[in-house]
Amino acid sequence: MGLMRMRQGDDRLRALMLAGLAGDSVAHAALLRALLPPLRGFFRRRLGGRDDDVEDLVQETLIAVHQRRATYDPDRPLGAWVYAIARYKLIDRYRRSGRTTPLDDMAELADEFTFADASDARADVDRLLDTIPEKQASVLRATRIDGLSTAEAAQRLGIGESDVKVSAHRGLKALAARVKDGWR
Amino acid sequence: MNSDELIATLSYDLRPVPRHALGRRLGLGAVLGGLVTLGLVADWLGIRPDIARAMHGATFWIKWAYTIGLAVCATAVTLRLARPDGTTGAWLRLMAVPVLGLAIVAVGELAMTPRGQWPALWLGHSWTICSRNVFVLSVPIFAGLLWSMRRLAPTRLALAGTTAGVAAGGWGATLYCLHCPETSALFVLTWYTLGMAGAALLGRLLGARLLRW
Repeated sequence: MGLMRMRQGDDRLRALMLAGLAGDSVAHAALLRALLPPLRGFFRRRLGGRDDDVEDLVQETLIAVHQRRATYDPDRPLGAWVYAIARYKLIDRYRRSGRTTPLDDMAELADEFTFADASDARADVDRLLDTIPEKQASVLRATRIDGLSTAEAAQRLGIGESDVKVSAHRGLKALAARVKDGWR
Repeated sequence: MNSDELIATLSYDLRPVPRHALGRRLGLGAVLGGLVTLGLVADWLGIRPDIARAMHGATFWIKWAYTIGLAVCATAVTLRLARPDGTTGAWLRLMAVPVLGLAIVAVGELAMTPRGQWPALWLGHSWTICSRNVFVLSVPIFAGLLWSMRRLAPTRLALAGTTAGVAAGGWGATLYCLHCPETSALFVLTWYTLGMAGAALLGRLLGARLLRW
């Protein structure tokens, strides 16, 4: 049975899906098993013989069907929904494999980039905070970066709450002025 | 892991999905973001002191009709695009209604105003900061929507990001009306829309990257 034929309203699979959404794990497993043959056929036809890739994509699709099952609209055909997920996973695979870097390296590279971005931003903030009075900077670090409440910040810095508020206000104002002045 | 083992793992300890889980998830993200924005309006900008009187006038409601109209349409499209097989339906085109409606009001305003005062009508008192404020206020709401969408299954990522951006812009602008005392439709049509366009652009740029699953 192909996905396309499945799209033409397979009431049995839809019933399994609805039972699964209600919490019936036996029905859910039965649905996922029933999706195996059409999904394998779908990806095999499009990937041409690379069986490891086929099974990879089948599993990715099953995981998505499971994790994102809340996005199924019970009033619509189940096949169209599964097909849309399978198609997205296929396109996503194409998109990723279009790069010259092997897939595994890509994930690591992406991690490196986000890490570099974050530490750059952190360094920028630190340099900017160095330009304002120390008390204002430490209040801003406590309240805006570490996310402490006014009371917690007051306790940590050993100053009054109103002092925290005033310093935060003045600090932000000073920072805004620095940025406006074309601080690099 | 072979596929049978995977299926067994996935089905183990299955939790039921409440009906309307998708709408609730998106609503939760929008509301959480909206609360942050509301806090910003109250704390950072300040609610306009004459808010009670303003709410008795037509201008306030014309502004809200525009921003809420856009926000509702964009939220509805985003809700549909959160499904893998989702289409935009009529909601995308319906966004033209508030824009055209406000444009008509703006033309009427211009017709009733001497030509020399047109620049004042257009620029108001706050044109230099209005778009920026609308944009800034949209960011928390956009973050909330993004948080929701990442658990859902959009397949047209740039479009879904854009409509989430417009929705965030629309709701952000709606809350900005609590602060902004500007009264001219031409002002709102220009500067509010510019701020919302910024939010849409942000959504488009981030959507394609952050909505992948």
